[in-house]
Amino acid sequence: MDTTAVLVPDSDSDARERAAIDRSCRVPVLLFFSVAIFWLLMGTLFGMIASIKMHVPDFLTTFFGVPAGELSFGRLRPIHLNIVAYGWAAVVGIGVAIWLMARLCRAPLRNAWLVCAAGVLWNVGMIAGIFSILLGYGNSIEYLEFPPFVTFILFLAYALVSVWAVDMFVHRKKGHVYVSQWYLLAALFWFPWLYGTANILLNIQPVAGSVQGIITWWYGHNVLGLWFTPIGLASAYYFIPKVIGRPVYSYYLSAFGFWALALFYSWNGGHHLIGGPLPAWLITASSVASFMMFIPVLVTAINHHMTMKGNFHMLKYSPTLRFVVFGAMCYTLVSFQGSSMAIRSWNYLTHFTHYTIGHAHLGLYGFFTMIMFGAVYYIVPRLTNSEWKSARMIKIHFWFCAYGIIAMFVALSIGGLVEGEMLLNPKGAHNTFPDIVEATKPYLIARSISGLLLTVGHVVFAWHFVLMLVGMGRRTAGATLLTEASEEREGVAI
Amino acid sequence: MSEMFIFYLLIVGSMVVLGGSAMYGIYWAVRDGQYVNMKKGAEVIFGKDEPVGKVTDLFPGMKPEDIKQPGAAKKR
Repeated sequence: MDTTAVLVPDSDSDARERAAIDRSCRVPVLLFFSVAIFWLLMGTLFGMIASIKMHVPDFLTTFFGVPAGELSFGRLRPIHLNIVAYGWAAVVGIGVAIWLMARLCRAPLRNAWLVCAAGVLWNVGMIAGIFSILLGYGNSIEYLEFPPFVTFILFLAYALVSVWAVDMFVHRKKGHVYVSQWYLLAALFWFPWLYGTANILLNIQPVAGSVQGIITWWYGHNVLGLWFTPIGLASAYYFIPKVIGRPVYSYYLSAFGFWALALFYSWNGGHHLIGGPLPAWLITASSVASFMMFIPVLVTAINHHMTMKGNFHMLKYSPTLRFVVFGAMCYTLVSFQGSSMAIRSWNYLTHFTHYTIGHAHLGLYGFFTMIMFGAVYYIVPRLTNSEWKSARMIKIHFWFCAYGIIAMFVALSIGGLVEGEMLLNPKGAHNTFPDIVEATKPYLIARSISGLLLTVGHVVFAWHFVLMLVGMGRRTAGATLLTEASEEREGVAI
Repeated sequence: MSEMFIFYLLIVGSMVVLGGSAMYGIYWAVRDGQYVNMKKGAEVIFGKDEPVGKVTDLFPGMKPEDIKQPGAAKKR
């Protein structure tokens, strides 16, 4: 029986089509979101422990009185990184990508079992990987700490999603390919190759010496640039215009920005190796490419700003818009900062300090995670046919996360510069190594406090999501929101 | 020998797969006329029941009528 007509009172063909697409996405997308939010909480927990250990070194070194290597910073920190990168960010990203792909292809989800299988496989890999690191079998290669057998599982899962995406694209409804779709295809199509290549050359058949560094950062930067960034931007290019009901200011610029990003981003990795034992031309080429990133970033920033212009008051009214615009602003900021960090003289000061950590959090949290939160707020009501329970909870989530990430970024940036300055002059009377460690302590404590703010936001968000999942959201008659306004009203103070 | 072979295969393959797919992508897009009508392209995400001008996301409990244009109060 077709229930669409019941769901959509004014059975308009577009609305019916959308409802069918949303319905086809329900199981896989909610599956991805649920596990992603579980990993978000786990990642927050491990991040908090690792952060506290930075200024309270004796915190949690024993397990019921027994000294435990499993609880050392050297294992908890990579666990935090891998959980938030591959457990939360990648999984929620795939969930959003599935929904966006189906919507933009204007076709119900095909082969849902394929993505569901990928989701299950992925999480098996995640659990195996986390325990491997916990038990001391992790690699020391940043972003690739999982041992080879785990990366193989993750690669298979990625590949399934890729195959699904290509199949979905081939069977799309004829018409224009929207800019978000280009970004998604780029992410879903390129990433398995990157991941596989990096793993073969580093884990399975390791290349010699310093070439490993090149491969590591070619991968390490591309995981951000060609995986998280395209998914984040695809979401921003869809949700900002869609929420406010206004087409992208300059569609030409959006297409141009995509191709510029595709051209320049994959060169950027080398700037992580400034000062390393590598050919200077390689690092210089990478620095130049990092500066060329100004083009796609500026294009995107101008485009989003001009789309929003005259609609900034909408930030008061739409949770999705609020998160996505915050994320888009962070994208501009973090990208310009990243380019500046590729300047040799500036890198000389900031490299190997907390400044870089601040940059990483601004990117993966301020930009990517915030946009994903916004996307989840938009997508979930359409899958569960109910509205979010409480405006207040969304606002708490937003403000705690926004202030948390800003505080973290400011604390780590200032702390990093202090640290960098002292490290460059280590011989002064008050610049011994313990002095430097001591000097960064206030900033690290500030970072832990900002982490607490994020934790509050995440717990509220997760709770809200669970309420939606168990059907405790507000019921609405329409398949899409806002067709029928809900009966009760809540305090809407901003 | 075989190690170096894998190495070169992957390095060259990376260039061919990543660069090649991007080049094919832009070739296809131009040939297909994807970039002929930019205005129409930007509007594909809107439809009959969610047209340009319709807000599609609000805080729970809000109605589209609740949206106040900035400056609207002053005019009155």
